[in-house]
Order: sequence, then structure tokens, then C-alpha cells
Amino acid sequence: MSSYSKRHRLIGILFAVPALIFLLTFVLYPVAYNIYLSFTNASLSARKAVRFVGLKNFTAMFSNKLFKQYFWNTCKWTFWSVLGQMLLGLGLAMLISQPMKGATAIRSFLLIPYVVPAVTLALVSKWILNSDYGIVSYWCQQAGWLDARQSFLAMKGPAMWVVVILNIWRSYPFPMLIYWAALKSIDRDLYEAATVDGSTKWQSFLYITLPQLRATTAVLIILRIVWTATYYDLIYMVTGGGPTGSTTTLPILIYQTSFGSGQLGAGAAISMVLGVLMLGCIVIYIRNNMKEE
Amino acid sequence: MKRIIALLLTVLMVFGLCACGQSAAPAPAEAPANNEPAPAAEPETPAAEEPQAYDYSGQKLVIWTCLTADAQYEVLNKQFTELGKEMGVEVEVERLSFNEMIQKLATAASSGDVPDIMHVNFGGTAQLYADEVLMPVDGIIDTIGANDFSEAYKRVLTGADGNIYGIPDWAMHTSVWYRKDLFEEKGLEIPKTWSEFKATAVALNDGADMAGFPVPLDGVQVAAQTLYELMCSKGIYFLDPKTGEYIFDQEKEEAIEVIDYLVDLYKSASPAASLTWSWGDYRNALAVSGTVAMTLDMGAVIGNAQGNNPEMTTKLGCFDFPGVDGNKVASFGSGYCFVGTKQDEPLREALITDFLIALYTPERAAERALSRPMFAFPSYLPAFEIYKQSEKVADFQTEIDTIFDAFENSTWYWYGMENGLSPMSAHIEATNIFGVALQGACDGTYTSEEAYDLINEDLAAFAATM
Repeated sequence: MSSYSKRHRLIGILFAVPALIFLLTFVLYPVAYNIYLSFTNASLSARKAVRFVGLKNFTAMFSNKLFKQYFWNTCKWTFWSVLGQMLLGLGLAMLISQPMKGATAIRSFLLIPYVVPAVTLALVSKWILNSDYGIVSYWCQQAGWLDARQSFLAMKGPAMWVVVILNIWRSYPFPMLIYWAALKSIDRDLYEAATVDGSTKWQSFLYITLPQLRATTAVLIILRIVWTATYYDLIYMVTGGGPTGSTTTLPILIYQTSFGSGQLGAGAAISMVLGVLMLGCIVIYIRNNMKEE
Repeated sequence: MKRIIALLLTVLMVFGLCACGQSAAPAPAEAPANNEPAPAAEPETPAAEEPQAYDYSGQKLVIWTCLTADAQYEVLNKQFTELGKEMGVEVEVERLSFNEMIQKLATAASSGDVPDIMHVNFGGTAQLYADEVLMPVDGIIDTIGANDFSEAYKRVLTGADGNIYGIPDWAMHTSVWYRKDLFEEKGLEIPKTWSEFKATAVALNDGADMAGFPVPLDGVQVAAQTLYELMCSKGIYFLDPKTGEYIFDQEKEEAIEVIDYLVDLYKSASPAASLTWSWGDYRNALAVSGTVAMTLDMGAVIGNAQGNNPEMTTKLGCFDFPGVDGNKVASFGSGYCFVGTKQDEPLREALITDFLIALYTPERAAERALSRPMFAFPSYLPAFEIYKQSEKVADFQTEIDTIFDAFENSTWYWYGMENGLSPMSAHIEATNIFGVALQGACDGTYTSEEAYDLINEDLAAFAATM
């Protein structure tokens, strides 16, 4: 290797060092520390000595009656949220990709949910769904869909649907933007050729648009699953995980176990389970990327 | 040689005896000539040390508060600033979010970054005590006047070592706050038993607009407080008041009866959505919108009415939640206290001690309690008369007497501190298991027994780590 190449390589490594330090400090160390904590009895209490407890946190977690419920809550929340975001995002992306008057204004308008802070959305939702003075609850009570002085947020079935709908509303702009960009990149000649061959709009969508969006959809699904399954603040602020734990997902359980009950070790074990599930998604994402390359 | 050694030993013995004699207690006075018993010897006290005068200039005190109302914080902040100026010290006051207080305190204790002084509720005090960062305040209480604080209040702040770790400031007591006008309108009497209470709640139900009695069960704290008031009235506790042992697991049958009654009240007289109601919801429903007729509360409903619906203020009254058959065993009491943290330097300890003592003038203690009248009344007795004479509580003399009597003359407990300071209290304060279990019992997800089991398993697991 020439001295120029050596120097060039060294400079390259030097440029990578800050990023490497950042990754070691803020990614690798916390992950490694979390793995360590999950095998200990670590707690928030300063007086308790940290002891190695083997798999005790994991066996306690899997034998907990409520863990199974919270795990399925997480699956339900993630599945319906992602499905809703993807369908709404795709539909609106197709709408804004059509030539029309005021397209820029409509696109900007549709992006608003993405910039609404979760806390604002949570407070407004709780307000309009309040059993006594919420406008939505009032309408539903008048229509006979709700009992008097009842709220969807206080009912264990509907509460999950409320937070899923709120999440879909807040998160659809991201898939919409990605799909919009992907739609722009589809060769228009394909549609023209299909039209010449007598294809209907639905057939064009089914046999041209969807296959062309396949890679984008795969990436989007993986990313949205990871972001949604680990999303915490919206549910916590709207329902606090209730009623009867019906909206408690694993991230909320991690918070409650770690900082509510002060059991850092047990909380770390739950986050390990969630982490492994998310790791599976990331592996699929990487394999998908490698295939494309 | 032997003689020399013997002589030396003799000399050493003589010096030794002399030395012992000097440090021993002085020889007793000659026995009285007659046979009267000798007067009891005065306990030996070391020569009184002059309190060391410290120069506090340049010192800084960090004080944390965790309050729910602006008015309370403003008064505390004003008093801290005043005292800081008087003593020539800088005072930094930080206000903690009430909902995250336990977590913040635990984290602070773990990192060693605790404040010098804190104004905190029982749960917070229990957390700091469990983390072994508090200094005993028996001496401070003695200086202020030990008899000026109720024994029950001092007992709840006493640690396993017999020392007191918090100086009582406010007292709060859970009562049933109710609409006097509705009782009069319907010709209802104050209920004396559980069955009468339920009948009264049902009688007060009036269509969709008026609920007799909400059963608020918000996940954290509220559900536990609602259950505990009912438990206390039946004599069911989490820890044994005498030994401090975990006993909730030995009271399954009685505890299930309490949960059954709670569910019954919910189904017969509570708004459906009260499963997720917190303090603000039921207080507003009673004092502002007027859509419930009675509720359990520590008196903050008065502040809500005064601020948002003054006409309601005169319509509200309170009574003690009844016992099962009329004889209430205990009630749910609460309070805020001042705590000081352990210090390495005598100067810092003296500063905290002097600062805390200076906070306990009758006027200052009354001013603090009056910053949110009815929600809090002074636990420092010399301040109580000033409190009672204030215009702010002039219309509530009967209610004050009811609450004061329940607090000073009856048995009351704070959950998890039935036998003094215990980390169980902080755990109950922070866990959401009460909400999950009791909401589930009310909406039919769990039976009362299953709800009890959920709570008991969680608490028993924690008790095993105490």
C-alpha cells in the first residue's frame, strides 16, 4: 500500500472516530448495560446491593398473569396502527400525486398531524372524549352509542381503538410522503402502455403501482413496526395504560416496572424481550436491503 | 530484681487507681444519718455544651417541594426566601412534579444528589427514609415543642430505629364531602353504616345528571386511596399496626368483602367513566359542575368551589365515612412534612436545623396551611387557632372540627405506614396494580377475589424485598 493510500485510509479512520465514540457511548454501552441489568435485582433504591439473579427476572416475567395480556396489547396496537398508517398514507399519496389545483397547499395541510406534539393531541383527545363535557362523548351518548356519563376511554375494548386511531392520524404523513416520492419515480410509460392494452385504473393500480411500490412498502412496514411497537408517550398520556390494563403495551410496562415499582432489573428483562423482537424486524430490513443491492 | 519489679508494679497500681478515681463518678455524699433512702441520683449529664454559633454567610440551601397547587408553592417559596435573607443564606427552591415525585426521589437518592430540605408527603418521606438519606429530627421537634404535634402524626413519621424523620406540617384527612342542599331536599340523614351509605348514594342518584357517589379508580394513587379508605373503616391494613409485618395476605376474606362493596357502590351509584377518574375529575364533578352528590376527598373540593363556582361553597359539608356496622375502626389520614437530609459537616446540619426550627412560628405554619384551606390544616397546634380564626375558613368551623377530631382523636393510617415509616408506602404510591385490579373488578374482567390476588401478589412480592 502506498504512503498516500495509507494516509488516506488513516484520515478516513480519523473521520469515523467521533461517530464510533458516539455509537459506543450512546448505543453499545446502554444496550450492554441493559443486558447486564436484566440478570440482576437492580432497583431504584439506593440502599439495595445489586446481585446477580440469573434468569429470575425472565421467569417471573413469563409467569406474570398480566404479561401475556400486555404482550398481545402490543401486537394489537402495532398491527392496527401500522396497517392504518400504511393504507391511509398510500391513499393520500395517490391523491396528492394527481395533478390538481392547490396541490402544494393540500400536501402541506396533510402534513399537519405529523408536527402536532403528542401532548397536544393527548390533551385535546381527552377533552373531547371526556364523559361529562366532551363533545364527541356527548354526540355518542345522544346517538345511543354510549351510556350516559360514559367515555370510550373508560371502556377496555374501545380505549385501544381510540389510541390506535389517534396514532394513525398522527403518523400517516410519513408513509404518505415516502409513497408520494415512490409514486413519482414510477415510469409513466408503464401506465400508458397498460391503457393502450385496455387496462382499467384498478388493474393498473393492482398490476403496476403495487408491484412497483413493493420495496418501499417492505421498508416502510419494518420501520413503522419498530417505531410503533416502541412508541410510548401517546398511549401513556391518553389512557395511562388503562382501563384494566387494556392499553398497556410493553413500553408502558417497562416504564411502570422500572420507575413505578422501582425494579430496574425486571424492567430491563422486559425491554430485552421487546429488543429481541425489534431486532428480528431490523434483520429482515437489512436482509431486504442486501437483496435489493 | 524481683523486689524492683514488685515495687514498680505497686507504683503502677497506685497511679492506675488514682487515674481511675479521677475519671469515675464523684463519690456519693455521705449516707444520711437516718435510714431514709438516699435521694435518687440525678442522671449524669455531661456539662452543657454551649451551642456553637456558626456563621452561615455564603452557605446555600437546596429545597425541594412537591405540591399540587400554585398557592401552596408561592407561600412556601416566600417563606423560604424570607428566612434565607434573615439567615444570610442563599436558597434554591425546586418544585417537583407530583406524579413523578417517588421516581425522582429514588433517582436522586441513588445518585447522592438529594436536596438539603424537602417539603414532602408521606410517600416521599418513606422513599427517602428507605434510601437512608434522612437525618433524625427528634431534637428539632423537641426544640419546637414536642407536645405541639399529635402523637399519631409523630408515630407515622417514626422509623424502625425509633427516631422521627419528618416534622409534621400539614395534616389532611379523607372525609365524605357532600351536598348539604341535596340531603335536605331529599330528607336524608348522615349515614352511619355501610348499608346506609350505599342507600344514601342510591337515593341521591338522579337520572343521568346526578350520581350519588363516584368511585374514582385512576391507575396510580387514586384507586389505592379509594380502596384504603374503605379498608380502614373495616380495620383491614397492609401492614400490622403493631409489628409492621405484611398482613394483607392474612385478610383475604375481609379484603374481598371490601372490594365487593366498592364494586357494589360503583355499579349502583357511580358514573360509568369514574373507572378512570382522578382527583380533578371527581372534585370538579362535586364542586364545579355539580353532577355528583358525595365524594371522598381531603377537602380540596372547597378550593375548587371557591375558585370556580363560589355559590357551591356554602352547599358543601363533610362527614366521616362510616364503619361497616357503625363503628369505624380507622380512617385514612395524610399530611406533608419537612425533612432534612444527612450532612457530613456540623455547620450544614446546624444550618438545616436552624432553618427548620425557624419555619415553625404559629403564623408561618398557619399561613402555609391556609394557602389551600380545608385541603390542609396545621398539624402544629399553636398555629391551629390562628388557622381557625382566618376568614378563609370562617364558614367551615363545623367541618374543621369534624376533620380535626378525626385526625387528633381517632385512629388513622397512611397506607403502608401503619407502623411508621416503611418503603411499602412509596411502593403503593407508585404502582398501578390497584388501578388494573379494581377497574377490572368493576368492569367485570376480574372477580373481587382475582382483583385481591393481583394486588396481594404485587404487594407481597415487594414486602419480601423490604
